[in-house]
Amino acid sequence: MLKIKDLHVSVDEQEILKGLSLEVGEGELHAVMGPNGSGKSTLGYTLAGRDDYEVTSGSIEFDGEDLVEMEPDERAAAGVFLAFQYPVEIPGVNNAYFLRAALNAQRKARGEEEVDGVNFLKMVRESLAELEMDESLLKRAVNEGFSGGEKKRNEIVQMAVLQPKLAILDETDSGLDIDALKLVADGINRLRDGKRSFVVITHYQRLLDYLTPDKVHVLSGGRIVESGGPELAHRLESEGYGHLERASA
Amino acid sequence: MSALAEKLMVTPVDETSGYDTIHELGQQRLMQYGFPDMKTEEWKYTPLRVLEKRAFQDPIEATTALPSWPVDGVVLHFEQGVLTSDPATLPEGVKLSPISPDLLGKKDYDPLYGQREGAFGWLNLAKFKQAWHLEITGDQTVILATTLSKAFEAQVHPRLLIDVAANASLKLIEDQRDQGQGLINIACEINVAEAARVEHVICRQNAESVWIQRTDVDVAKDADYRVSAFDRGGRLTRHDLNVHIKGAGANGEIDGLVLLNDRQHVDWHTEIAHCVGHTNSREAFRFLADGSGVGVLNGRIHIHPDSDDSHSDLNTANLLLSDDARINIKPELEIYSEEVTASHGATIGQLDEGSLFYMRSRGLTEAEGLALLKFGFAAEPMMQIQTPEIREWVLGQLKEVL
Ligand SMILES: Nc1ncnc2c1ncn2[C@@H]1O[C@H](COP(=O)(O)OP(=O)(O)OP(=O)(O)O)[C@@H](O)[C@H]1O
Ligand SMILES: [Mg+2]
Repeated sequence: MLKIKDLHVSVDEQEILKGLSLEVGEGELHAVMGPNGSGKSTLGYTLAGRDDYEVTSGSIEFDGEDLVEMEPDERAAAGVFLAFQYPVEIPGVNNAYFLRAALNAQRKARGEEEVDGVNFLKMVRESLAELEMDESLLKRAVNEGFSGGEKKRNEIVQMAVLQPKLAILDETDSGLDIDALKLVADGINRLRDGKRSFVVITHYQRLLDYLTPDKVHVLSGGRIVESGGPELAHRLESEGYGHLERASA
Repeated sequence: MSALAEKLMVTPVDETSGYDTIHELGQQRLMQYGFPDMKTEEWKYTPLRVLEKRAFQDPIEATTALPSWPVDGVVLHFEQGVLTSDPATLPEGVKLSPISPDLLGKKDYDPLYGQREGAFGWLNLAKFKQAWHLEITGDQTVILATTLSKAFEAQVHPRLLIDVAANASLKLIEDQRDQGQGLINIACEINVAEAARVEHVICRQNAESVWIQRTDVDVAKDADYRVSAFDRGGRLTRHDLNVHIKGAGANGEIDGLVLLNDRQHVDWHTEIAHCVGHTNSREAFRFLADGSGVGVLNGRIHIHPDSDDSHSDLNTANLLLSDDARINIKPELEIYSEEVTASHGATIGQLDEGSLFYMRSRGLTEAEGLALLKFGFAAEPMMQIQTPEIREWVLGQLKEVL
């Protein structure tokens, strides 16, 4: 599904990812953990195709295609979804209108038929209910004035409606209360169908208890420095990252 | 007299109209004060070069097709600035007649309005051909459609006085479409009497004509006046909109949206005056300037002495969409009472890359994302339009052009 090889990425001439390699198979859920500033969000933005994130060497293959050459909207249509660590507020743009426009833009790009208003509303209402979000959020501007937790849950609603092949979730669990964390985890698990793949970036193993990842990776200094099973998350929780950074230095 | 004044004054006016004294007065004042130049503070950002270079022809006959509007109402069509509708066939509650000379140009002598930017006002008084008095009672919808055809190269100076009676309610749509290359210089006065309500929507799309307009609004006790202007730009447009709140319990609101592109220059000078206390006002204005478009907003809030318990808020946010576009914003607060609140905020920025990326990461193309971002920004002031049909109509036009 996703094959990242020796990826080097610079932002503003400064190298942030320094030879990152990662493979995520079809239907797998991988967790990426790592200290602040290690490059986790940079990885997410790079996969989604943000402009100023320059791939200087290495490769990203997604579903057999070269992702690096694709525009952000082409990637979205191909099935890549990034849940932002800091979801963006878009004043004046209605939340429901935006999501429907996005869904139909993707479908159009794939040569599929557009979804009409009635069916769309049904889909989005279902997702809202599952995440215990108020329907009034649909009528508001995208993320504007949403609480931190509402913004994160809104990302999961978008994911559920857009049905990507690969979802990268950047600290979607940060800032959620205990109940919301469970709802978000359920939202993710509902989408796990053996084909869809996930990269879950998190600082806490609590989320991983709900998700049972296939693999856990540690990103440090712009590289994956250690990989293992779910037990690695537990170890990190008790030991921290100190020893890893020394080891990788 | 300046070359510009000489050129504009050249065609004599009809002196048999009963307005001759007023025409003469306009002419005298214009000669006395002259046209503004770059040194005139109120015209600093809006040079009149386009006007100076232009040669004006006599008006010609034309019939411009009218669009349809989202609400039913009395349509008064001003073709090339001249009324073509029959004033005799109007329904009850809407009365149209020539202005009686003694009502004329009252505001032009009113010290409250001063000589701030009088030249075009004097020019209008000196040269208008028709001056109409529209009187409204009851609950009415009136559409003032002003069209300038493709072949329009003349100068016209329409004048209109609107009296909205006490307790009356008026929806007023000014639909202004220019396709020509002349000069139109409109003087419009609106009196909103006690406890009357006016919802005023200005929808304007100009081509090459120089469009000068002055709208002076008096708002009486407990009355409510709200205007929303959707200005789609033009070669050279200048609108002076003055809302004077003159009675306790009255409310005045201005919302504006201006879209600008290459070779367009639009200048709005707004003034909200709190002449007495216990009054409220609000203004929100947005410019989106693309290409080599130039936008000017001078937003003045003037709270007179002895006007305690006046509350006013002026907010303007603007987007520069290209490197060549320019926006000049000048809020002016003149406050002569103590117990008042007056706030203002002004920003000029660019479209947010982060928002665009967020939209594209969800599947929207760059063009779709940009259009939606611009729409979101531009729509905000127009959301204030109270009548849903009119609001949707304006938003629909906005969506079409973005
Ligand atoms: N535009 C930029 N110019 C220079 N450095 C940048 C830029 N953007 C990000 N960085 C740096 O890149 C590094 C990685 O940032 P990134 O956001 O990927 O970290 P992270 O692992 O997601 O951290 P966190 O856990 O705090 O979210 C940081 O040191 C950050 O300061
Ligand atoms: Mg991060």
